[in-house]
Amino acid sequence: MSRPVRRVAAVLLSAGVAAAVLVASGSAARSSSAQIKAGGTLNVGWESSFGFTDNLDPTGEYLGDAFGILDNLLVRTLVGYNHTAGAAGNQLVPDIATALPKPTNGGKTYTFHIKPGIKFSPPVNRAVTSHDFVTAMERLANPKDGGQYAFYYKVIKGWDAYAAGKAKSISGISTPNDSTIVFNLTQPTGDFLYRMSMPATGPQPAEVTKCFEGQPGKYAQDLISTAGYMIEGIDKVDISSCSAIKPADGYDGQTHLFLVRNPNYDPKTDGTRKNYVDQVRFTVDASDVDIYNKIEAGQLDLATSSIPPSVLQKYATTPSLKRYFHQNSGDRTWYLTMNITQPPFDDIHVRKAMNWIIDKAALRQTWGGPTVGQIANHIVPDTLFNFKLQSYKPYKTPGDHGDLAKAKAAMKGSKYDTKGDGTCSAPQCKNVLMISDTRGVDPGMVATIQQDAKKIGITFKVRQINGAYPTIQTVAKNIPFAERPGWGKDYADPVTFFEPLFDGRTIIPTGNTNYSLVGITQSQCRQLHVTGDCSPYNPKTGLGVPSVNSMLDKCEPLVNTEANDARTVCYENLDKYLMTNVVPWVPWMWSYVTRITSSNVTHYQFDQFSTTPAYSMISVKS
Amino acid sequence: MTAVTDLLSPGGALVAESKSASRLFWERFREDKAALFAAGTIGLLVLIAIGGGPLAAWITGHPNDEAYQAIMENQFGLPKGPNAQFWFGADGEGRDLFVRTMYGARTSLLVGVVASGIAVLIGLVIGMIAGYFRGAVDTLLSRVGDVMLAMPQLLISIGIVAACSSNKNGCVAGLIQPGIPLVIMVIVIFSWPYIARLVRSFTLSLREKDFVEASRSLGASNTRIIFREILPNLIGPIIVYTTLLIPQSILFEAALSYLGLGVPPDTASWGGLLNDAQRFYDTAWWLMLFPGLFLVITTLAFNLLGDGLRDALDVRADR
Repeated sequence: MSRPVRRVAAVLLSAGVAAAVLVASGSAARSSSAQIKAGGTLNVGWESSFGFTDNLDPTGEYLGDAFGILDNLLVRTLVGYNHTAGAAGNQLVPDIATALPKPTNGGKTYTFHIKPGIKFSPPVNRAVTSHDFVTAMERLANPKDGGQYAFYYKVIKGWDAYAAGKAKSISGISTPNDSTIVFNLTQPTGDFLYRMSMPATGPQPAEVTKCFEGQPGKYAQDLISTAGYMIEGIDKVDISSCSAIKPADGYDGQTHLFLVRNPNYDPKTDGTRKNYVDQVRFTVDASDVDIYNKIEAGQLDLATSSIPPSVLQKYATTPSLKRYFHQNSGDRTWYLTMNITQPPFDDIHVRKAMNWIIDKAALRQTWGGPTVGQIANHIVPDTLFNFKLQSYKPYKTPGDHGDLAKAKAAMKGSKYDTKGDGTCSAPQCKNVLMISDTRGVDPGMVATIQQDAKKIGITFKVRQINGAYPTIQTVAKNIPFAERPGWGKDYADPVTFFEPLFDGRTIIPTGNTNYSLVGITQSQCRQLHVTGDCSPYNPKTGLGVPSVNSMLDKCEPLVNTEANDARTVCYENLDKYLMTNVVPWVPWMWSYVTRITSSNVTHYQFDQFSTTPAYSMISVKS
Repeated sequence: MTAVTDLLSPGGALVAESKSASRLFWERFREDKAALFAAGTIGLLVLIAIGGGPLAAWITGHPNDEAYQAIMENQFGLPKGPNAQFWFGADGEGRDLFVRTMYGARTSLLVGVVASGIAVLIGLVIGMIAGYFRGAVDTLLSRVGDVMLAMPQLLISIGIVAACSSNKNGCVAGLIQPGIPLVIMVIVIFSWPYIARLVRSFTLSLREKDFVEASRSLGASNTRIIFREILPNLIGPIIVYTTLLIPQSILFEAALSYLGLGVPPDTASWGGLLNDAQRFYDTAWWLMLFPGLFLVITTLAFNLLGDGLRDALDVRADR
């Protein structure tokens, strides 16, 4: 059937569907129940490279798009979400646990009971027990196993001692029996249940993971599932000994990830996932143009990819195609990161000048213009502050096109403004290394940044890397500037921005997410081979490394009550402090999550927790 | 060496007239209109490479790296086409495509000529040594060349470029910097075996000639024989193959830039412009047309010139 005929047929087929066309305001689902049928294969394209931060190993994987795969398809956790859009999608519900526990012992103890009937996929084929959660937590605590958000669990008693190799187990985790696990904390932690929804906390079989100790990322190709799907070919993997284990065929780490149904999954134990399709196939494609051609042809059903502007225009403006155009709140900030230990960004004057000069509207234009998101004015998206910081725009410029006069004014006083004219004229301002990725949008972003920075005397030497995150996350590479980063919430609490991104104590050699190195100490710099200036911040000169550790510690134990939003207000103040007294970033966009689906998709749903498609809730024609 | 042309004397008897090799070459070359046109085109391209970019920027008032998103992109970031101010339209980032195309000539020709020159130099030396000394030396050098020729060039080029690009100091202890130097190095690595093989076969033939034997019997050293007897006879073929290698090098650079692995994104190159064009192929025809046209014309011109030179230098040609 030719393409135009297929399109007409799809429109006719969809004619009976009561679909509400929503743009930007978010839609929980788009279909009618009559369209949802089990079966078929969901084909997902992935642009350029998977870009996983730890090869999809749940212990270390921190890419937001990877959370969507793990949480929906492979890894169940004690508590989880309903895999839907909006506020409902951020509400915690029991997953493997029988119920959401109420903390006892003054808020310091959480007791979970495990549902019966939860089993590991082949080739492990046994029931999940409380000890399997201990395995997962110990892997997360072990620095050699690549955990990238282990800092969330330092509140568990004995965590640090175990991580330092001073204890054989984590004393704050106990397993009275196979179906009960108890966590004892060092202090009340209002968001602890959210922390237990993260994929790294999902149960792992020690008989398999022990073979990958000290090899971050390697376990991923033999990941043993507890959810509705498993890696194709995992059932044929020989786990009789560590030397016998070979990677499953269905995932090669580079080009494809093929998932099939997990025969040991019991849907009666899972109230949050529907798992309509029989298979989910992720394939990497170098070209976003090719991806959307394939979606239009029905060879792919949706994609994790930048969207070519021509495609965006077509789907956003053609009435017959709008049903395939889905937008939801992304809870994500895209930003330019500046390493505050590396010249010239070790001077706060320069960092402020960059905030004034960058044409944020032009950066957004490379992504497709106002359709794809809002201009970001501070660290955390307004959605996570209930829009209370909506009017806070410390570096607002006319049309968001940048302001040269204000940038020069900010630069004055910098040690790099050797001419005293408000430009960065010292030698350190020339040929500054910028890391860029190879997505379709990156060349346009690089061109804009270079053009803007040149106005204040900064020139860049650009290095393009396919899948740039591992490079940016390696501290010893001393990358001064990167245009690639974006950060989505880990869960619906501002701490998930501030803790991983600005706590100096969370900085790790590889897989580091505090790219700016805020709060890094001189001792850490020596250990991590940081070459720049790590001296403490001097507010008189604007040089040195500022820290917000004490402010983070102040906010973390706070809880919002009906009487006041003490926790939220504390983090709002921290956001403001970072934007004016630390200035680690140039935040430029709060993106919507835009997805285009093929006519094969009969029901699309968005997962607000991972801000990705809710793969476990999508159906296709079978 | 001279050639003899038969002429009629006033009395009607045939008289032989000598012509120098260079005169013969020039006469033959002049008769090849396509080669003449190609030479003229290349001359024009060289001029464009030298000053075309700055001249274009001055004429249009649009610097090479200046983006004009407000006037040359629509609300979805799609570039707009040719008009009175932007003769070739805008590229994907809103920059003047005419100016970028002119600057691209500099990159493409620089890479093509320099990479070819270095590859020919290396291939010439290795080929002469292998062909003259034969034996174990020839075997070793020829096998090295064969291995290089057997390698998947594009895949390994991608690996080298990616590895060197991830470090701000480049690779080989900072000797090779990402960007144009790295692209040139990659092209040279995979081009020299082709030249070496050709030079080797010519050298094997020349070393058996009487004039070489005579030189040897007079006590000339190997070095003198190679550089004074053999090398002059290789100049002609080398010039021809160099002109044929240049367009290949230009296309190789274009391929790497198309894959996003060539010159940095801010440096204009025809391949990079074509890479940019693929995101807008269905809405911005000018992005492919103009850089593509220049690439085709350049490649065709060098190929025609190479053919013309080969015909003009071929002493066995019956004219």
